[in-house]
Amino acid sequence: MAIDTDKIVHAVMHGSRIREEKGIIPLFGVYLSMISVQYYNRISFGFEKKLGNDAVAEKLLVAAGQECGYATFQGIRSSREWDEVVKPMIERIEDQIYCFISIAIAFGWGDLAVQELVPGKKLVIRANDSYEAKGYLDSYGKADSGKCYMLRGVAAAFMDLVYGGEYPDGCFQYKAIETHCQAQGDPHCEFVARKAAP
Amino acid sequence: MTINWPENFARKGHEIFLSGLPIALHCHHYNMNLQKTLESSLGSEGSRLIYQAAEESSYDGFTSFLKHLPKINTVKSKLELASTSYQYCGLGIISFSQIGPQGGRIVSPHSHHVTGWLAKFGKRDTPGCFFSRGWIAGALAVIYEKPLGYYRVDELACKMTLARECMFEVTES
Repeated sequence: MAIDTDKIVHAVMHGSRIREEKGIIPLFGVYLSMISVQYYNRISFGFEKKLGNDAVAEKLLVAAGQECGYATFQGIRSSREWDEVVKPMIERIEDQIYCFISIAIAFGWGDLAVQELVPGKKLVIRANDSYEAKGYLDSYGKADSGKCYMLRGVAAAFMDLVYGGEYPDGCFQYKAIETHCQAQGDPHCEFVARKAAP
Repeated sequence: MTINWPENFARKGHEIFLSGLPIALHCHHYNMNLQKTLESSLGSEGSRLIYQAAEESSYDGFTSFLKHLPKINTVKSKLELASTSYQYCGLGIISFSQIGPQGGRIVSPHSHHVTGWLAKFGKRDTPGCFFSRGWIAGALAVIYEKPLGYYRVDELACKMTLARECMFEVTES
């Protein structure tokens, strides 16, 4: 069965309208929030400016994204909603990554697609309209390096989850770089995740 | 007044909008990781950045809400909208019953950030609802037609420290 992104997006959109009595959105095994992308961009790029060391900020923000992606999508693939909606679409282990991508699209993180997947070795994800790249361009103009820290970490986390060994010991087994970024004037953003050096 | 939330929460292609402003769905893992990263790297400057980012986005978001909902034009209905939008966004429960243009107190018995922080990192020694403080400051500035930064919001008690509920004090800054 092919991965039905529309069905997954519909399930997320439908589920994200359900609130329990505490005003929390428990969906796909995690607590979801709906917050303006302006907030996230102000946090990430404000942090980068305040820290005054782009390389350290980048490392910390990518790590936050990767750890988040690892825990979030582990919660998601262990959930009742995953079993009901997503699992029937999965035939090969690699299909999980395509389903993760559909969920990331449903979360409003950008228009994402897998460009290349070499099982266990390499994942290439292409993104259009990543909210991070758009937000950077809008606030600061053209960047001199990739700015999609969250998506970069998440790309590596997808490989960690599928090929990195048993949860929770598989995080940071893979490492991603952003080879293209719309914030730099590239036509799209692209992330390449490979096995991290020991 | 009953608000048709699904009508205000719409997907256009791969983007999600709430009353015309782009939003993203994120879970407690990311929100709490960001908070921890900022706090551990920048200390109080990091928590201040979270507060300011929440204040600005809440100010712009609430301005957009009211533009899309012109029938909500009294202070009472605007406060009600603030409370329901907080809940709709999965941020928790918040009560604006003891508030006026000069400030007051706000109580929150449940929130995304408290639930998320306790689930991920456990009890804190100090109050940690920087997002909620900024969010309240931004929303109240719009409701009482004040400029951004007009209100200062402090947290007197926090469920992250195992208090019974979060209590915020609003003053003119």
